[in-house]
Formats: sequence, C-alpha cells, structure tokens
Amino acid sequence: MKLYLFNKRLYFKNNHKLTAMMKVKKNLTKAFLMTMLCLILFNSSSYSKRELIEKNNELKYSFILKTITGKITNESGEPLKGASLSVIGTSIVTTTDADGNFKIAVSENAKKIRISFVGYKSQDITIGNSTRLNIVLVSDVQSLLDVVVVGYGTQKKSDLTGAISSIKGKELTLLPVQQVDQSLQGRAAGVQVLNPTGAPGQSAIIRIRGMNSINGGNGALVVIDGLQGGNLSSLNPNDVESIDILKDASATAIYGSQGANGVIVVTTKKGKKGKPLIEYGLILGNQTVRHRMDLMAAGDYARVVNEERSTNDAAGTPPPVFTDAQIAAYDKSGGTDWQSEIFRTAPLQNHQLTVSGATDNMNYLVSGGYIDQEGLLINSFYKRYSLRANLGADINKRIHFDLYYSGAIENANVQPVGDYPSYLGAALNSVLVFAPTITPYDSAGNYSKTSVGYGATDSWNPLAAAKEPQIMNSNVQNNVGANLDFKILKGLTFKVVGGAYISNIKNKSYFNSKTAEGQSSPIGVGYATYANTLYYNLQNSNILTYDHLFGIKHHLIVTGVAENQYSQSQSVNLIAQGFAVDITGADALGGASSVTGSSPFSERVLRSYLGRINYSYADKYLLTASYRADASSVFGSLHKWGYFPSVSLAWHLSNESFIKNLNIFSDLKLRGSIGITGNQGISPYQTLSNMTNSWSGNNYGNANYPYNGGPQTGNSMVGMIQGNSANPNLKWESTKQSNIGIDFSLFKGRLTATAEYYNKLTSDLLLNQAIPTYTGFATVLSNVGSMENKGFEFSIGGEPLVGKFKWTTNFVISINKNRVVNLGGINELDFVTTNGGYNVANGFMQLRVGGSFGDMYGYRTLGTWKTSEATQAAKYGAIPGMLHWDDPNNDGIIDTKDIVKIGKAQPKYTFGWNNHFTYGNLDLTIFIQGSQGNQIFNMGRIRYESQYEGTSKVLLNSWTPTNQTNIPAFIKASTWATYPNLVSTNTIANGTDGNRTSRWVEDGSYVRLKNITLGYTIPSSKLERFGIAKLRGYVSATNLLTITKYVGYDPEVSNFNGNDAQIGVDYNNYPTAKVITFGFNITF
Amino acid sequence: MRNNIKNIVYYLILLLPIALATSCKKLDVTPRSTITNVNYGTSAVQIEAEYAGSMNMLWGKYYGYGVAGDRTPDVVFKNDDQLQGGNLQVDPALGDMLWLAHYQALVNINNALGSIKKGMVQETPQVIAQLKAEGTFLRAFNYFYLTRMFGDIPLLTEDSDPTALVARTPIKDVYSLIVSDLQYAAANLPSSWSNAPGKQTSGAANALLAKVYLTMATYPLNDPTYYQKAADAASAVMSSGIYSLVTNCNQVFLPANTYSPEMIWAFNSVYSDKSSAARGWAPGEWLDGGWDNVIVDTAFEHHWPAQPRKDAYLMLNLNGTPGVVSYTNDFATASPYCKKFFFYLDPNDFMNNTCANNMPILRYADVLLMYAEAANQAAGAPTQAACDAANKVISRANGYVTNAGHPLLTPSIGKQAFDDAIIQERSWELCFEWPDRWSDITRKRILDKVSAPYPQYLAHYTPNDYLFAIPQNDLKLDKLLTQNPGYPHP
Repeated sequence: MKLYLFNKRLYFKNNHKLTAMMKVKKNLTKAFLMTMLCLILFNSSSYSKRELIEKNNELKYSFILKTITGKITNESGEPLKGASLSVIGTSIVTTTDADGNFKIAVSENAKKIRISFVGYKSQDITIGNSTRLNIVLVSDVQSLLDVVVVGYGTQKKSDLTGAISSIKGKELTLLPVQQVDQSLQGRAAGVQVLNPTGAPGQSAIIRIRGMNSINGGNGALVVIDGLQGGNLSSLNPNDVESIDILKDASATAIYGSQGANGVIVVTTKKGKKGKPLIEYGLILGNQTVRHRMDLMAAGDYARVVNEERSTNDAAGTPPPVFTDAQIAAYDKSGGTDWQSEIFRTAPLQNHQLTVSGATDNMNYLVSGGYIDQEGLLINSFYKRYSLRANLGADINKRIHFDLYYSGAIENANVQPVGDYPSYLGAALNSVLVFAPTITPYDSAGNYSKTSVGYGATDSWNPLAAAKEPQIMNSNVQNNVGANLDFKILKGLTFKVVGGAYISNIKNKSYFNSKTAEGQSSPIGVGYATYANTLYYNLQNSNILTYDHLFGIKHHLIVTGVAENQYSQSQSVNLIAQGFAVDITGADALGGASSVTGSSPFSERVLRSYLGRINYSYADKYLLTASYRADASSVFGSLHKWGYFPSVSLAWHLSNESFIKNLNIFSDLKLRGSIGITGNQGISPYQTLSNMTNSWSGNNYGNANYPYNGGPQTGNSMVGMIQGNSANPNLKWESTKQSNIGIDFSLFKGRLTATAEYYNKLTSDLLLNQAIPTYTGFATVLSNVGSMENKGFEFSIGGEPLVGKFKWTTNFVISINKNRVVNLGGINELDFVTTNGGYNVANGFMQLRVGGSFGDMYGYRTLGTWKTSEATQAAKYGAIPGMLHWDDPNNDGIIDTKDIVKIGKAQPKYTFGWNNHFTYGNLDLTIFIQGSQGNQIFNMGRIRYESQYEGTSKVLLNSWTPTNQTNIPAFIKASTWATYPNLVSTNTIANGTDGNRTSRWVEDGSYVRLKNITLGYTIPSSKLERFGIAKLRGYVSATNLLTITKYVGYDPEVSNFNGNDAQIGVDYNNYPTAKVITFGFNITF
Repeated sequence: MRNNIKNIVYYLILLLPIALATSCKKLDVTPRSTITNVNYGTSAVQIEAEYAGSMNMLWGKYYGYGVAGDRTPDVVFKNDDQLQGGNLQVDPALGDMLWLAHYQALVNINNALGSIKKGMVQETPQVIAQLKAEGTFLRAFNYFYLTRMFGDIPLLTEDSDPTALVARTPIKDVYSLIVSDLQYAAANLPSSWSNAPGKQTSGAANALLAKVYLTMATYPLNDPTYYQKAADAASAVMSSGIYSLVTNCNQVFLPANTYSPEMIWAFNSVYSDKSSAARGWAPGEWLDGGWDNVIVDTAFEHHWPAQPRKDAYLMLNLNGTPGVVSYTNDFATASPYCKKFFFYLDPNDFMNNTCANNMPILRYADVLLMYAEAANQAAGAPTQAACDAANKVISRANGYVTNAGHPLLTPSIGKQAFDDAIIQERSWELCFEWPDRWSDITRKRILDKVSAPYPQYLAHYTPNDYLFAIPQNDLKLDKLLTQNPGYPHP
C-alpha cells in the first residue's frame, strides 16, 4: 500500500488503484499524517512494508512497521490497566486495556519502548526482534514524590530550592490512623507532634522548627486544596493524596504573614482514569490504658494514714484512724481500685468508603468515613462522620474546573481534665488521691463522699466525676472550594480559587447534683455551660502562572497572586447555675436561677498580593525568589501592610559532568535560602483600647463607683474604664529564617538523604511592655522582644533490600535549640500554670532571657538527709529523713535566692524511624518514634505522693533509719521534741512555694514502638472471580511498647493552658491508649 | 486574529475576579461585640460612666484600704504630723501608687473629654456643656493633687498622643490648665443636681478653685495676688446660700449626714463599700478586733485643747466618755484613734466591714477657713468677715460655749498670728482628711516647724521633702523625665 500527497490531496494506492482520500490543508502537520497513516496501517494487516511519499515537499518517509503486542503486569502479576507505552523518538503512544494488554505499531528503526505508569518505575524496553513483550513494572514509592505541592503551585521535586518534607497519603493509611495530625508524628524532620492527651478525637499540637511566639500562637498554617486555615484533625486520612510541609522561608514566605510557623499543605485525592474504583476499609480496634499509676491497696493505705496520724502529737501517739481489724479487712478485700472503676477497655471502629474514577474530561471521587471511638475513661467518646466529594471537569480545551467539598460532623464527650472547671470536678485528679478504703457507693446506693478526717478531703468520688458530667461537644464543618483553570496561551495559565470554611462548634455540658460543680447549693443544683461558635473563613485567590522553557536551558516560571481572606467568628457563651431539678440540664438553661453570658464577635480581613519567580538554568542552577505583601485588619492603620521577601538558590551538582563522572551520586543538590515570614496570630482589635467595667484594682472587682451618690444602700452605677492601653503601632511579628540544605542520593536512588540547618530569629515579638505609668497603664501590648530557633534536621531513607524480600526505611531526626533573646527590657516572664488543686501558686514555668520555652525554675532537692549527714542537716534546722534542699548560694538559708533551673521541657532531639518490609504478599510496617533530653514537671505527684493524702506506693518506701531512701520519712512530733534547739532556716519548705521543686521534675525521654502492622494482600488471581481487584487485611498495634523512665500516664504531655511557654507540665492528663486493631481494605 | 480576540476575552475574565478581590472588604474592621474607646462615649450615661471609672481609681487609694497600714506604698495618709509614726520624710516610692491612680483616672477623663470634643455625644448643647464641665472639674482635681505632690508633671489632655513619651510640664502651666478647667466647670455646672447629690456642682468647682488659688498664692508659685481670687472664690461658695455647717461637730460625718449642706464634694459610699468600714478605723480592742490602721500621734492629741470637737474627732478612750482621756490605759497601742470617720452601727456591719459614710474632699468648714486665710492675707490684716468665717468653725468646735483653751478670733490679733491660728485650726478641723494637713505644711513651708516635736525627722529634714519623688519606673522608661531634687534617678 502506498500513500501519495499530490495537489494537496492525500491519495491511497492499493493494488495499483489510486483512491483520493481527503483534501489536505496546507498547514496540516506531518504528525497528523503519520497518525492517519498508523490508523490505516492498523486496519490493514496484509502488508508488512508500507511507504509514504510526500511529493510536493520532496520529502519521503519510509515506514517499515511491525505490530508488537504484549501484556503489562505488576510484580504480583496483576494486569495494569492504563499504563502508557511510547515509542522513543516518535509520537506513537498507546495505553493498556483493562487486562493489561496492548498492541502498538513501531517503525523498523525504532529501538526502544518506554512504559510508564503512575506509582511504578518507568522502563525502557529494547524492541529487538520480538513482536510480543510481557513486561513487569516495579512499583516505585519514590516516583510518587516527584511532584511537590508548594504554595500556589507545584514543582518538580528536583527543582526545589527550599526545605520541604513530603508525605504521601498512602504512607499514612498503611497504618490504622484516625487523625491526620497525630499520624504526622515522627515522619518529617523538623516537625514536632505532641499528643498531649489520650482523649479520643483531640487535636495534636504541631510545631514546625520550634516555637517562635509567646502571644501570637505557634500553630502551623494548614492549607487544604489551596484553601488556607483548614483543620487537620477532622480530615479523613483516607482522602489524603499528599502532605507537604513547608519549613524554610523560601517555601513559607509565599504565605507571608501566616507563614512564620511553617505551612502544612494537604492535597486530597482525585479520581483516576480507568474503571471506577470502589474501595472499602474497615478498622476495628481495642484500646487499653497503656500505663497505670502504681497505687496502694486499701490495707497499705490505711497503715500509711495511721502512720501519718501518729506524727501529729508530740505528747504521745494519737489514736489511729483505722483499727487493726479494719486494716485486716482491707488487706483481705484490697479496697477499691479507683483506676479500674473509671478506666475501661474501649472499642473503636472506623469505616471508610471511597468511589472514584475518571473519564477523558471528568474525574470524581466521593468518600465517606465514620469513626466511632469510645474513650478509656468511662463516659467519653468521639464520633466523626465525614464526607468528601472532589470533582474535576474539562469544560473545554482551555478551561478546567475543580470542585472540592468536604464536610464533617464530630461529636464528642470528653470530661474535663486539669483545673477546668474546677480541680475537684476532674475524675483524673481525684482518682489518684481518693482513698481506696472507700467503696464507690455507700450503703444507700449513692456515690460515696470523700473521706472524713484523713486523705484528700477536697476530692470528689472519681466514679461520679467521670460518669455524671454530661458533655456534648459537637463540631459541624463544611469546606467548599472551587477552582477554575484557564489556559490562556501556551505556558500561561490563570487560576481562580474560591473557597469557604464554615464551622459551627457547639459545646454543652451539664454537671448534675452528683458532681462537684453541680452539687446542691443555696440557689439550687447543677452547673451548665453552653457555648456556640459560628466561624467562617472565605478566601479568593487569583493565580496567574507563566511557565516557559526558553531555548533548552532557561526554564522560567512566574507566578502572581492576588488574594483576599475574610473571617468572622460569632459566639454565645453561657454559664448557668442553680437549677430547681436535675432533669433538663444544658438544654433548658432558662430554668437556672443564675445565667451569665457573653457573645463575642470578631472579624478579620487579610488582603495579599504576591509574586514568585522560579528560574533554572540547564537544571543545574536554580533560583526561587518570592515577595508577598499582606494587609491585615488586626493591625493599626500605620502598620496594616507587611512585606515578606525570600530568595533561595540551589545547585544541582549531580547534573554537572564532573559529578556525573564520579558515578557515585544519582542525585546531589545544595540549597540555600533566606527570607522573612510573619505572624498575625493576635486577636483582632488589640490595637484599640477595650472599655470594661471589670477592674480588680480597688479590691471591689468592678468599676461600680457610686458617681451620682444618693441613697446609702445603692445607687451605684456601672463605671467604665479603659482596660488596656491602645497601641496603634502594633504590627506583625516577623521571623527571619535562613536555611542551608543538601539532598543526595546514592546507589541509583536506593539511598537518599537530606540534611538541613536553619536559623530563625523572630523579632518584634508581641509582649506586654512596661510603659510610664503616667499613661494610665503599666503595660501595653507591643512589638518588643525576640526569640531564636536554630536547628538541624536529617533524614535518610532507602531500600536496603530489593527483590522478593523488600525493605524500605526512613529515619528522621530533628534538633532544635530555642533561645529567648530579648523580652523587651524585662528579664523574665512567669507563667502560673495552675491556681487550684496543686498548690503551685508561683510561676515555675518562666521565660528568661537566654533561656528557652518550657524552662522550669524552682528549688532543687538533693533527696533526703542521711543519718551520716545529721550535722550538716542541723545547720538548716533539719534532721535525717527530711528533704535535703539544695542551697546553691551557700548562705545557710533556703529562700527564693536559691531558685535555680530545675528542668527544661524542650527535647534535645526527636526522631522517627519508619520501616516497611514486604515479602511476596506479606507486608510489615514498624514505626518507632521518640524524644530525648526533655523533662516533665509531674504535677500530679505533689498530691498523690504527699504524706497526708497520697495513695502512691512510693510512700511504702519512705525513709527509715534502716532504709534511707529519698522519700521523706514520717517524722513524729515526738522525734522533733528531741531536737529542741533546731531552728529551721528553710523559709519555703513548709509553704506551697516549696512545691516548685526539682523533686517533681522527671526525665521525659522516651522511645516508643508507635506502631507495628502486619498485612497480607490476597493475590488478585484468587479474587478476580469475586469481582474484587484487591484485598489486604492487617493486624496492627499502636503504642505497644514504650521505653521511658517517666512514671506518669504518658511522657507525651503538654499544657492545657494554651501557651507554649508552659509545655511539659503534667496535670494528670488523659492517659494514652494502647490500641490493637484489625482491619482490611478491599477494592472493587 | 481570532485567537487574539479569544485571548483578550480570557484576560478580561481574569481581571474581573482580581478587581472583585481587591475591593470587597475594608481593612478597617470596626469591633461590634467589643466596646472600645473608639466606639464608646456617645451619650451622657457613657461619658459619666467613664467619670465614675476615674473616681474608682482614687476611691480606694485615699480612704479605706488606702489608709490601711498593710499596703505600704499607699500610706501617704501618714505623711504629716497627725498620725503615730507619721513619716514627715518622703520615701522615694511613697507616691508611686497615687501617681498611677491619678493618671489612671486622667486617661479615662481625657478619653471622655475627647469624645465630647469629637462631637460623638448625642445630647443637647446644654447637657454636653455640663458633661464637659464635669470632666474638666475632675481633670483639674486630679492635676491639682498631682502637682501638689510632684511639682512639675506630665500634662496630658484629650489632645495628647497617648503613645508618645512626654517631659514634665512646669507647675505654672499645670495651674493654668487647672484654673481654666475649674473656671469652665464653675460656669457650666449646676448648683445642684436632682437625684444625684454626689455629683460635682458649681459650688464644688468654686470651693476647689479657692483651694487652687490659695495654693498658688503660697508655695511653690508664691504669688500673693491670688489671695484675693481665693477669697472671691470662697465667698462665692459662702454666698450661694446652699452650704452651711452641721450644727453638732459629732454629726458632721455621720452616715445619715452624707449629703448634708456641709459636704460640698466627697468620695461617695455605698453600704457594701469597705472604704469607709468602721473596722479600718478601730483599735484592736473593738469586738473581734479593729485593724489598728489609723493610730493618732500622742503629741498631736496633747496639743489639742479640750473641746467637744476633740471628743468627736479623736477616740481618746474605749467607752466614748467625753472629756476623758484614758487611751494609754484602754488601748494596747497607748495612743488615741481617729474617731471622725468611725461609726459603729451594729456588730454585723462591723464584722462584715460595711458602712456608708462618704469620705470628704471639699467641706464647708474648709471653705470658711480658706476664706479667712485668704481675706487676711489679701487685706494685709484680719478683716471682720475673716474672723466671722473662722469663728463659725471654732464656735462649733467648742460646742457654742466659751472655751478659754480655744478662744474666738478677733481682728486685733494681727495678720501673722491670725494666719498661724487658721493653719492650726485647719489641722484640727480637717484632721485625717488627707492631703489637707500635708498640703498646708508644704504650701506654708513649715515642715521644719511642725517637725519640732519629732527630732528624728528634724535631723534629716531638707527642703526637698516638700515634693515627692517621680516614680523610678517612669524615669526608667521615659528619659525625658527629670527627678525632683534629693531623690535618686535610676
């Protein structure tokens, strides 16, 4: 067969018969002709040699073609549908069908076919003489990382100049995770994740490269599908395609005033071309308390109480609280184990269903999730219903449209911990001090009251405290985002992003008459709270991108963005007390005799313009420069605008011939960046002076001066005063960050590593600065002070084993050193961590110039005085068996001058080590994670190790002359009487100030087997007849093993008072669970 | 060409949202659920609430806990020769709390005056003028108290930049503002308010103006031309027909007489108010114990001639028997106590620290004595009117009987003796009404003289003691400020 092009017509000659096929336009491309040709050739199998002669142009193509057929499968033999084949050097492409089969025509000259498929390593196959090829593609986790989502765009990983850690959704969902935020722990260098509470559904605290701000917040900006301000904890992990964590200024400065604490960019999944996929995943789990406190049984407790009682009377031993017979009975029964009363084994279940697919111009993904998790503490639970619908459509050749919707309903009941609303009311406080000699219920069937005459008399029946509060927290969230992509010209695209994040948080609680808060009072019973917040954030971004390759070496991408954000928050907060009866609770606050309320409203506007240039020369020299201008409504008129520049350079050494020739590195890149980011995390209206009628300056609480005078019994009026000094000069906290990094990869990519060093200096810190009092105020919120974070991050990954038994591994380690440089003229800021319950009224958490976040200051104890040290002890008025307080200044007096640093909450380093093994159809994941060199102030011990009310077993090991331990002795008053001349020089030991002591500071280091998962994938060959494409089942254990010296519930503690200066204080937080899960994922 | 047109259309499409994006929300967000000084101050009630707030700042400082010995920086009350241990030397930190309190009051007053000036207040012109007069009265009151204690002071008005650091304004200029503020107040305040007996009136403005002029006539400005102005201002109060003395001196401060014709302006009290609580004035021997806060100097008592006023104003024995001085036996402190503000109503009130007697700031007896002093000085000799005014106070003190120990004044006594007698009379009549006695000592420059019975003070006396120290805190934070002589500068 021959084709002729003659007189702009294409002729087809077969068996010497000439047929005019079509008229050919002048500008018809050769490619078109060739495509036509191929079509014809495929339809005609009788010829093996064909020719095309283009006479007019005096060009002659000679095609000697053959057809190659074959099948493409993955390593487990499953056919790969939609894999693409291209003949190298030509434009001939095809894809495999549903069974993985293909058929392709190649010219005789063609040497190689390239086969590529998302998620697999591309292969180039030499054609040779074969006409049938069966090709096995090897999956490639690395290839998934090829594209990284950066702010307002994507970049090839090889083109990156900034410090970005990427995590694939697939890595997260290999493990049974409920929450995205918690699952980030230990996965990315420079990212510290604290799970401060084991309560179900609680958010983790994420800190990227340390903590920069005292009052401005340290939470990273979360961007989900281009919409800023998302919520990680309610995101369904199953929907996550990738998470990119932007760390250095080069990456974050594009987010300007919101970028100082790092940015977490989440991309959700989209439907992929091919047969629609239906995936279902199930997780069933069983949670148990990881670690319980070692508390005394009733008999031992009774003996300790008697011993304590006997210390009270100098004249002789007072009558014991418990008789021998009672103690014998307690020994027999063991008394009440309060921890067992309030903790339980709690089930969890998690269902995930996803339907996805795509046609040529449409893609869709719809997923639903349901989590039902009970808490370890009775009467606590978390439920989440989530729905996502992602749609994409090509409206025409130029316009593409994406719609993202995600919604979640979260319902939770989590009882209060710590001091809120009172120390008494928290079951987790009282469980450690409530006497084991008391039964849960009294003889009448009511909750037992607290002990009388011994033990912690200000505690509350833990069972009642856990079981009775009715907490109903709900959060309804809706995220809608829509993008329109216009392809204006080749390389020039314009994208409009519009989105809304809407959440309605409703927290209701009712403490009935059986609780400490709601017990009967003169005005009635019950204590109820109701808080409702409607929050929404609207965003519009307009992104213009120009991407062009000039010549073959100059690649330029220019991005320009105009953006607007508006957020509004409106709340109603009510507290009601004094109900007539316990029936209606928080749903009928009108029945209360006292209702107090507030209705805060705030709004903020952020307007931004930004630009970025990415330039690379020959893939060797890379430059990124960006500039953002932000205007925020939270600042005064003089400082609304902030400007955030950054620049970074990278040198892709492995593309230089002198490195290539070494044949060592498959990739080697040096990077450096510098830039400025901001923090606008202050509340709106702080530039103004708030008027208030509440004032504590005159001992009366309110500004109720009776200005008018009048009847002596009343006629006071509500006075108003300015509560704070206005500061129209408030502006952004700004963080200057420099970063150098190196990426390298050896052994053909089987070993990859990244090392980064950064230096962040946050200046203009928002602090209350002392001002002359003639202004009428003592302080004003100002931009003074600075904070430094320096750190080193290292991650190394690789494939030590390939083949049938495969091992991929990744290790990350982060070291951050935080230092307070300047506090605006003062030397320290004290943080009072609690005011109730634990008797630590003075701030032992202090920020001092030269110190760092989480530093603790107090009195050091050196154990107890030993018998051999009696003479020395006597100098301080102490006797052997008493606490040995350190006297660092050696002035013979223990007083506030002896306060020293007793601990630091910031770890020396944190690390994570992730291992994934596969052997045939078996897969095993082992994830180890930990923190080293940090300390915890275990506040709960102040009470449960106290001699008067403690229940801890350590009291059984108290100092005696024959067993000189570091637990203070029970010293009888009669013993004292034998030391008549002793005068204590300790001014703090007997006061509550003595509670800020190193005695309660413990090493918080830990190494944790965070997760181990064993999975088995049933070969698809066995499933095909059931219509199942894939089925994987697994068993998994979370927090199975923790190596730590810390005696509290869990070393992963944090503050609940909300300020990072107070991390590392354990208030008997909700214990962490050890979770055993079974799950499977099935794909149809 | 068609392609180009298409492109232009696309460009227009893309420009549209940018235009929308940049114009939709304003960057100045007005708070709605938060009351700020920007949106507050639009009605009489709101303006007066700010004035009430300003009084709140001072209320507890001058009386109640302000006289309590347990808050040392507050005890300026002790800074004269009337209380036991009354420290005539000024400790560098003594004035810090009052400095702060007065400036806290001023920031709210100035804010209110600023709202008025900006035209925010939606009231009739007459009401607005009254509101402004209330404010200028309060501002003058605060600055007058401040400048007497500290001399040159930072002078901030509604026109000042609240964030700027300022230097001290010379006393003379401070007084110009005080005088113009009070003149405005005297001209625009009503002579009385219906249903609001505690508010400042034109009478109060004139009374305060008399005190201001009298102070200007003496130290530190020392300009005798102001004596006549002081006499005129006092006489305006006297001729108003509104004010008179309470007949019995033991009823002047009685809770029932809180708004008597003698009380021109006072710190108003309510029943639950602890600032006038009896317990704070009581000796430890009362019921479950008074607080022993205000113990009177025995030399001050010795010098005071026997008269009904002495029994009314001083607690000389536990059982209250007039004319009997037995405190050395009755009280563990062996000292008399202040009785003028002590009202024992019943045990519950005593134990719950409740009472409701106003604490005087301007009193008619004070005005009479100011007139007497000013008229004598202005005329160069005691006039009959001056004697008559002073004798009203003396007669009442004596219970309207002749008292050889404390005779009435006559013009024959001569200018200097009359002046000395008036200052002495003020010490007795206005005792414990801080800062009247201390202010008389400083404006008459008689600290060395009154220190005579106290050799421990006299040994250290310097003329620098007539002024308080500028707070160290403010000196540290504002380099434009200077310190008063004799005090440390950080």
